[in-house]
Amino acid sequence: MIVSWNWLRDYVDLDMEPAELTRRLAMAGLNHEATTAIGDDLAIDLEVTSNRPDCLGHVGVAREIAVLWRVPLRVPDPTYPQAGSPVSDLVQVSITCPSLCYRYTARVVRGVRIGPSPAWLANRLRTLGLSVINNVVDISNYVMMECGQPLHVFDLHRLAGQKIIVREALPGEQFAAIDHRAYPLEPGMCVIADAERPVALGGVMGGVDSEVSSGTTDLLIEAAEFAPLSIRTTARKLGLHSPSSYRFERGVDSLGVDWASRRCCQLIARLAGGQCAPGVVEAGTPQATRPIITLRLSQLPRVLGIDIPPEEVEFILTALGADAVALHAGRVHLTPPSWRRDWTREIDLIEEVARIHGYDKIPEDVGVPMAPSHRTHADRVLEKVRLAMTASGFDEAMTASVVPRPWCSAFSPWSEAEPLRADVPMLKGADSLRKSLVPSLLEARRINESVANDPIELFETARIYLPQPAGLPYEQWTLAATGGGDFHALKGIVETLLDVLRIAPPLAVAASTQPLLDCVTQTRLELAGRCLGYLGQVSGEALRQFGLRNPTSVLELNLELLCELANLAPQQRPLSEYPAIARDMNLIVDESVRWAQLASSIRTAAGPLLETLEFREVYRDPRKDGDGKKRLLFSCTLRSSDRTLTNEEADAVRDRIVQACGQQHQAVLLS
Amino acid sequence: MALADFLRQLDELSRTATVTFAAVQDEASWEAARVEFAGAKQGRLKALQKLLGQVDPAERPAAGKRFNEVKAELDGAMAAAQARLQAPAGGRRAAPRPEFDPTLPGRRMRLGRLHPITQSIEELKEIMGRLGFSVADGPEIEDEWHNFEALNIPLEHPARDPLDNFYLSAAGASHGPLLLRSQTSTVQIRVMEQTAPPVRIISLGRVYRPDTADATHYPMFHQMEGLLVDQQVTMADLKSVLRLFATSYLGSDVHIRFRPSFFPFTEPSVEADFNWNDQWIEFGGAGMVDPHVLRAVGYDPEVVTGFAFGLGVERLCMRRHNITDIRDLYRNDVRFLHLF
Repeated sequence: MIVSWNWLRDYVDLDMEPAELTRRLAMAGLNHEATTAIGDDLAIDLEVTSNRPDCLGHVGVAREIAVLWRVPLRVPDPTYPQAGSPVSDLVQVSITCPSLCYRYTARVVRGVRIGPSPAWLANRLRTLGLSVINNVVDISNYVMMECGQPLHVFDLHRLAGQKIIVREALPGEQFAAIDHRAYPLEPGMCVIADAERPVALGGVMGGVDSEVSSGTTDLLIEAAEFAPLSIRTTARKLGLHSPSSYRFERGVDSLGVDWASRRCCQLIARLAGGQCAPGVVEAGTPQATRPIITLRLSQLPRVLGIDIPPEEVEFILTALGADAVALHAGRVHLTPPSWRRDWTREIDLIEEVARIHGYDKIPEDVGVPMAPSHRTHADRVLEKVRLAMTASGFDEAMTASVVPRPWCSAFSPWSEAEPLRADVPMLKGADSLRKSLVPSLLEARRINESVANDPIELFETARIYLPQPAGLPYEQWTLAATGGGDFHALKGIVETLLDVLRIAPPLAVAASTQPLLDCVTQTRLELAGRCLGYLGQVSGEALRQFGLRNPTSVLELNLELLCELANLAPQQRPLSEYPAIARDMNLIVDESVRWAQLASSIRTAAGPLLETLEFREVYRDPRKDGDGKKRLLFSCTLRSSDRTLTNEEADAVRDRIVQACGQQHQAVLLS
Repeated sequence: MALADFLRQLDELSRTATVTFAAVQDEASWEAARVEFAGAKQGRLKALQKLLGQVDPAERPAAGKRFNEVKAELDGAMAAAQARLQAPAGGRRAAPRPEFDPTLPGRRMRLGRLHPITQSIEELKEIMGRLGFSVADGPEIEDEWHNFEALNIPLEHPARDPLDNFYLSAAGASHGPLLLRSQTSTVQIRVMEQTAPPVRIISLGRVYRPDTADATHYPMFHQMEGLLVDQQVTMADLKSVLRLFATSYLGSDVHIRFRPSFFPFTEPSVEADFNWNDQWIEFGGAGMVDPHVLRAVGYDPEVVTGFAFGLGVERLCMRRHNITDIRDLYRNDVRFLHLF
C-alpha cells in the first residue's frame, strides 16, 4: 500500500520526520518498503499483512499514526446535498447469490459533467501510481484509497431496465471487460448484471458497455461487499488482479461500505456537479452486531511476560476504534470496530495492546529454564554414515525431491507403483515424487561431467516417496551414491558402513534385474534376509539416457534398515595378549567357485584360531593353470587367546584349509 | 661364557652410553666419552668384542646379532651428540640432502565434503540441542489437517490456494487431498498430538512452495522450526531463546528486535530481527502459539502457553558463506561443494 504524505495530513497532524514516521509504523506492524519523492509529495510504500485490510486506505494508516503519537484523527463527514427523486424510484437491486455477495448498495447522481479531475486530486492519485482518467472514475479510486472500500460507477443510462442483479455466472457465459477483452465466466464467479447481460464482474472488473465515458451524465454508484474467496478465485482464474480485487480478497469493512458510497457522492457533487438522489437502494444483509470481547488483564503478563498499566490498555483499544470500552475488575470489555475483523478473541486484543505498547518493552534476558535434549538414534546413525561417506571421498549432494516422470521408470527398485504426481510441476518438466535418489545423482553427475570435474563421487541421504494403497505415502530414508569406481569400489563403501555401524548380520548378495544397471554386475544386497539395497554398474544404455560419458557405479541403500540394525554402543571383548601369526595362501580354483563359498570353507577348516581372513587378489594365468581357472590369494591371521602359536601349529591350520578347499572346491595350493 | 651374561653386559653398555652421550655438553666431553665407549684399543665395546669369542659357539650367532645392534646404537648416539653440538643454538642443523625435497606436496586423502546446507542444519541442531530443544521429525507429504487446519489456516486463507502449494493428484482418498508440506510447522502438530506438554522441539527439513527458481527463490528449501509449550511460557522467553540462539550462532552478543507480523498459527506474531554489525538482519517469523492451535491438538490454552519460531536455513547458509545464487546449492558441482 502506497500512501501519500500530503494526503495523510488531511486526517492526522504529521509533526515528525518521514523517517521517524516509517520507523515507528514498522515497529507497529506496517513494514516500510521505500519512500519516493513525487513532486512536492512523498510516496511511502508500506507492507500491509493480510490480516490488516483496514490499512489499505489512508484513513486506516492515519489511525495507526494517531494512536502511536496520541494525536487526534480527523475522519471526514460524508454528508452531501440530496434532491429530486429518491434512488429507490430510479433503480432496483437484487442479490441472487448471497454466498458470493453479502451486501450491495446503489446511489444515483444525475447531471454530472465528466471532465478532468482537479490538480490536487490528480496529483494524489499520481503519487500512488494510479492513472488519472476522468473526474468521476478518479473520485471512485480516490475514495477507495481513502478508506479501502472499492467502488464502481456505472453509466446509469447504459444499464438495461435500470436494474442491478447480482448473480452467479452461468456456464459458458462471456463478459466484455473495460480492457475490451472477452472473458469466459463460470459458476462460482459473481456477476453484476442489468436486465439483459453482465455489466461487471463483481469486485474484479467493470464492463466495457456500462463504463463512464465523456458523454455520461447519470451515474449509479456501487458499493458492495463480496465474498473474499470467490473474488480471489475469480481474479486468479482470469488473471485480473486489481486494487479492487486485492481489497475484497482481504475483506472490507462492512460498515464502511455505506460511508464510502456517501463519500463518493459528496465528492462527485462537489467536483463533477450533478444532483444526488436521496437515499440508497440496498440488498443483502448488513453485518450482524459483533460480540463483546473480554480481555483479562492478567493474561497480558501471562502471554507477553510484561505488565502493561490498565489505563494504557484502555487507551490503546479505545484509540484503535473499539466501542464501549469498559474496565472492570481486572477485565476490559469492548465491542470491536467494524474495520477490525481480525479482533475476535482475547488473544487478538493482547496482540494489539502489545504492538502499540511496543515489543521493545519485552526483555530479551529472562532466565529460560534448562531442559535436557536428546539426539535421536536416526540422527546419530546418519552422522556416522555421513562421516564414513566423506572419509571415503564422497561429496554430499542435495537434489530436488520432485523429478521428471521418465526418471521414475528408469530406476525404481523399491516400489512398482506409479509415482505420486504434483499438480504443479516443481521445476521445468518435473512433477513426479521420486522413488529413488539414483536418477537425481546421475543428473548431478552429468552436470559435473559437463564442466570436466574429476573425480565425481557423490552421495545423498534423503527420503523417497513410495505410494501406499491408503493414507500417507511411505517416506523411506535412503542413501544413494554414484562413483567413478567399479562395482567393488562401491561394495567397499557398503562394507565400510556396516563396519562403522557395527552391524552384525553378514552382507549377502542376490540376483537383481534393474534395467538401469548392467546385467552382469547388478546385485541386490541383503542383511538378515531383508533387502538392504541395490548396487551395480550403470548400463551403457542408461549412461546414454542420462547423457553420461564415463562409466559409473551406483548404490542405493535403505537407511532405515541400517538404522534399525546399527549398534551404537558396541561392547568390549577380551583381546589376546599373544602375538598373531600369518599364513598367506594362493589357491587355484575353477572360475565358478565364488569367494564366499571358499571363505566359508576356510573359516570352518581353520577353526577358532582364525582371527581374520583377508582376500588379497584374484589372478588368472591360463598358460600355467589352464582355461576356466583363477587364483585366489588370501591371508589368514591366526591367534590364540592362551598361548603363542608355534609355526607348526600355524602350518597345521594352513594344511587343514588347503585340504578342505581341495575336497570341497577342488582347489589346488600354488606352492 | 654364558650367553645371558654376555647380553647383560651389552645391555649395560648400551644404557650407559646412551645416558653419557645424551649428557655431553662440549667437544671435549664428547671425545672423552668416545674414547671410553668406542676407543679402538681400550674402549668398552672393544672389550666386549673380545669376550664374544668366549661365548658358546652354538649361541654365538645370537650374541653376535645383539653385539652388532648395540654397536649401531652406540654409533647413533655418538652421531646424534655430535650433530647436537654442531647445530646452531636453538635448533638442529639440517644435514644437506639435496635429494630430499620437503616442498613436494604430501600424500593427501581425498575427503568428501558435507553439503553446506547439511553443515548449517547440523550447526542449528547442535546449538538448539544445547538450549534444550530435541529434534522431531515428520513427513514431507502431508494432509490438509496438519498442513493447514490444525495450524489455524482455514479454507478461505490465501495460503491454501492450489497454485501456491504442491497438491498431489489422485492421492490420499481417505485423508482428503495430500500435498508437499509448505512449512515444517506440520511437525509441531504431529508432536503435540502425541505428546503431553511440556514440549520443547525443533524440526528441520525440506519444505516446498511453487516459486519460479531464480537467484533468491527455489521451490524446495529448508526450514528450522522451534516450539516450546509449557506452563508460564511468555514472549520474553521467546525473545531470550532467540537471543541465546543468535548469540551462539554468531559468536558475540546479539540483540533481538520484534516487529509485528501475521501468521495464522501464532498470535501475537512477529518478525524477529537480530542486530549484527550495527545492522538489523531478518531472522525469521515467530510468535506465541495461537490458542486455536493449542486446542486443535487437545491442549488447554488456559493451562499452557507456548512459542514457536521458524527460519529459512538457506538464507542463513547463504549469508554465512556469501552464496549469492540459491540454485548453486542444488547443482551439486563438486568444485562448489569443495568450497565449504
